[in-house]
Amino acid sequence: MIVAKYRKRELVSNYTILTILALTCILPIMLLFFNSIKPQEEFGINPFGFPITIRLANFVDAWIMGEYAQIFLNSSKLVIGTLILNLTVSGLAGFSLAKLYPRGSNAFLVYLLVGVSIPAQMFILPLFLMWKELGLMNTHLGLIIIYAGLNAPFATFLIRSYMIQLPDELFDAAKIDGANTLQLFYRIALPISWPVFLTTGLVVGLAVWNEFLFALTFVHDDSKKPIATILFAFQSRFENNWGLVNASAVMMMAPIVILFMFFQRRFIAGLTSGASKG
Amino acid sequence: MSIFFSKNSIAWYFILPVLAVHFMVVALPSLLSLALCLTDWNGFGKINYVGFENFYELFDDRYFKKAVWHNIVWTCLFLTVPIALALTCAYLLTGITKGQMLFRLCFFFPYMLASIISCQIWKYIFHPLYGLPAWLNSKGIDLIPAVSPFTMKETSLYAVAFVDGWHFWGFLVVIYITGMYQVDNSLYEAADIEGATKFQKFRFVTLPLIRPIFIFSIMIIIIWSIPTFDYVWILTQGGPAYSSEVLATNLYSQAFDRFNVGYSSAIGTLMFIYTIFIVSIFGVLRKLGWEI
Amino acid sequence: MKKLFIVFITTIFSIVSFNTYAKTTVTWWAEANADRDPVFQAKLVDAFNASQNEIELVIEFKEGLNDILRTAMLSGEGPDIVETPGPSYVKEYQEAGLLQSMEGYSGQYGWEDKLLPWSYQAGVFNGEFYSAPKTFESMIMLYNKTLFEENGWSVPTTLSEYEDVASKIKAAGMNVFAYGSTGWQPTHEHLVGMYLNSYAGPDNVYKALIGEKDWTDPEFTGAVELLRKHMVDDGYWSGSLENYYALGWDDFHAMFASRGAAMMTIGTWTFGATAAGFADSSDEWDWAPFPVLRDGGADPAYLLALGTTMSINASSANPDAAAKVFDFIFSNKKVVLDMAADFNFGEFVVPLYFSADDIREDVSPQVKRYLVEFAEATGKGDYGYTTWTFWPADPGVHIWKDMEVVWAGDISVEDYMYDHQKMWDKARKKGELLPVGAR
Repeated sequence: MIVAKYRKRELVSNYTILTILALTCILPIMLLFFNSIKPQEEFGINPFGFPITIRLANFVDAWIMGEYAQIFLNSSKLVIGTLILNLTVSGLAGFSLAKLYPRGSNAFLVYLLVGVSIPAQMFILPLFLMWKELGLMNTHLGLIIIYAGLNAPFATFLIRSYMIQLPDELFDAAKIDGANTLQLFYRIALPISWPVFLTTGLVVGLAVWNEFLFALTFVHDDSKKPIATILFAFQSRFENNWGLVNASAVMMMAPIVILFMFFQRRFIAGLTSGASKG
Repeated sequence: MSIFFSKNSIAWYFILPVLAVHFMVVALPSLLSLALCLTDWNGFGKINYVGFENFYELFDDRYFKKAVWHNIVWTCLFLTVPIALALTCAYLLTGITKGQMLFRLCFFFPYMLASIISCQIWKYIFHPLYGLPAWLNSKGIDLIPAVSPFTMKETSLYAVAFVDGWHFWGFLVVIYITGMYQVDNSLYEAADIEGATKFQKFRFVTLPLIRPIFIFSIMIIIIWSIPTFDYVWILTQGGPAYSSEVLATNLYSQAFDRFNVGYSSAIGTLMFIYTIFIVSIFGVLRKLGWEI
Repeated sequence: MKKLFIVFITTIFSIVSFNTYAKTTVTWWAEANADRDPVFQAKLVDAFNASQNEIELVIEFKEGLNDILRTAMLSGEGPDIVETPGPSYVKEYQEAGLLQSMEGYSGQYGWEDKLLPWSYQAGVFNGEFYSAPKTFESMIMLYNKTLFEENGWSVPTTLSEYEDVASKIKAAGMNVFAYGSTGWQPTHEHLVGMYLNSYAGPDNVYKALIGEKDWTDPEFTGAVELLRKHMVDDGYWSGSLENYYALGWDDFHAMFASRGAAMMTIGTWTFGATAAGFADSSDEWDWAPFPVLRDGGADPAYLLALGTTMSINASSANPDAAAKVFDFIFSNKKVVLDMAADFNFGEFVVPLYFSADDIREDVSPQVKRYLVEFAEATGKGDYGYTTWTFWPADPGVHIWKDMEVVWAGDISVEDYMYDHQKMWDKARKKGELLPVGAR
């Protein structure tokens, strides 16, 4: 009886703390959403509350002015292209590091770690010159290669740590059946590691969708620009037209949020199995 | 012949593609940039060799030193506040059943936002004329002065770190909580019988068992805070009066505002050396038998 | 018959295609701006293409032009016509051999007589003409005329009047000036430039530019100290230093138009936004030159500034055609003023010899007065120097970036100007100084 009472008190305090923290996270985003459906005149009297009049036309305006139909297509192309390239190369490397035990793999891991901590501002200029030489400027392919490279260390680490926990016996049996190394990868490792590929794909896709520094520098044609650069341009062009700017921000985050809600459980499973064996 | 098809070579063939892509995108241009640290190149004209002059100047540059200090503060901030909050939160979450998924989603939500969106939200909230403090003041509630914390030299660095942390900490909650789920429930029950308090259970049962994840999170925070740039650049550009300047913004403004490409390469070189140092510490710890 | 028909058709085709093929294409990259781009296209590009049939001018609008252009030029590419944000960029490009000298074209077309002398001089590097001005600007002081009349305030012309009006405005519960630097950190240099010229006098600034005076001299430290006092202690701009940092373009325009502030210190690129801001207000706005803050007084001087410059890429295959484009601009005051009027004289005000008659009917009287008075005053030699047109790159960044450090109280004015002089010495030693016409 006493234990139960104690438990109840504990639960109340747990929920209180959690609710406060959750509100800190979610209220600012609610604000963004409220403001995206407010008419401009309302900001003066009601800058923080739920809209008095709802104006969905903000989205229409932003959609037309930002030419979002094209922009969404561009961003999707970049995300899908990056995922194909990145997951292929990182998957192969992760598998090798986890199961093929190459000599000097530690050196390679150190190399990747150092790679993560180099600031982009340092290599963006030489990279620009290289891309110019290679004719990759102003192309989606050029950006895809960049994104695949930038996200390679993280993806490789994650996939590697997932595959490490796969039992060796699995592969030994197949080897006896005469499978070569590549077959070991796509017949055995790949099918059972798909959760980590899903997680990696989500994280990398999120990073690509939200990236703007490289997109700003490497793509100039308006018709080829991804979504983050358009939002960036909107923010400076329509500085205090909050309804419009917020609506375009909501449009940018909507696909990501839907995707994550859909895959939430899977995503977390893949991420933690990776992290725990870091 | 056999050397090409030895087990070791094949293993490396699998690594080669990722190495090629990463080398081309990050390593090669970085090396090219590092090579410029002994020159006075301005990004346009001829390249002159100047020896270690850039480094002598750097060690005299008070704003570079300031940036170094801010990076250290930044790392320490992220190693304490988000980790403490996330641990508490994940631990509390394991104690409840109803609404758990909803809470998780809330905590993770900010992580999904692009940096430009998070910054847009918080700039709006702290706007000195239209923001929350000003609005409260106009309603007669004088809790906080209507000054944007991004524009006061005393607070700018912390304000930027707050926004970045707000965006980031949900990620930690997610990885901690899954680690905690792997803890066997019978251990907690045993602790309950011993009469352990909530904190004792956390300290002596939870923490040791999620150690690998915990160390992983410390490692990524240290590594990710070296090149931190986005939030600082969007919110304050390192100002006012260099009060939120970090290494990456310092490097950027030297290269792109002041045309001192050689000098900015010298900053990059020092950052690079620091990174190697940090990574090798992790390497040593690993050798010592830590699970990293 | 059939054969004849085919010959006929091919002849027609070859004539048509020959004609289109023979046209020389000139490319021009310009900074993108949603409102201005269509006007540029219609009133300049299409007008030029219609005026002759040898050259096809193609303009491409880019966001963040600076960085894109620089990297493109470095790899030997880029457009025929190179647009830069000011002489410090021209200097870097010219030093690196990325621009063609236009000395020959200038002589051939007589540009020196068409452009205002100071603006022509600002494009002469090592004795040769390299960059033509695309727009000029100056700093002015806007005020709410209705508000001033209601309160019986008069527009200040001296330091004591200036501080007097400021304290009256503050007593009335308003900010003295509306202004802010969010979104464009170099905004500080507008204020530094105004105070340096107004307090120390343009003659002294000129001497410092050409190396006959040091920036550590009391005229200059006094100017910076006065600005520090007005900014930090007195909060002239938007009420406090912090608010000045936090406000952006839309914010301070709204503040000025809604009587949140009585005045605004800003460049002439503001005309359009100010007129738009006051459109719904019953108040009227006007402008005056910034007061003379030094003892003894003098005629107010207009600060000279080039907004954008145009040059020819060294790797351009068609420099002759590009020069024709420039000459089309410099010879057609009507086209220039028509476009400038569409941009509310915030852009494309090419420094030509305009007279009151050249200005379009519908241009507001305030702007007309500015164009005429600027020409008169600068013609008499009453002009000063802006930092973004006459300061070399490194000191040019230092002047605004480290101004914040002075305002923060982390460094004394003397130390700041000492550092500044050191940067000038270094720039002078390395031959990075920008052209300044003799005074």
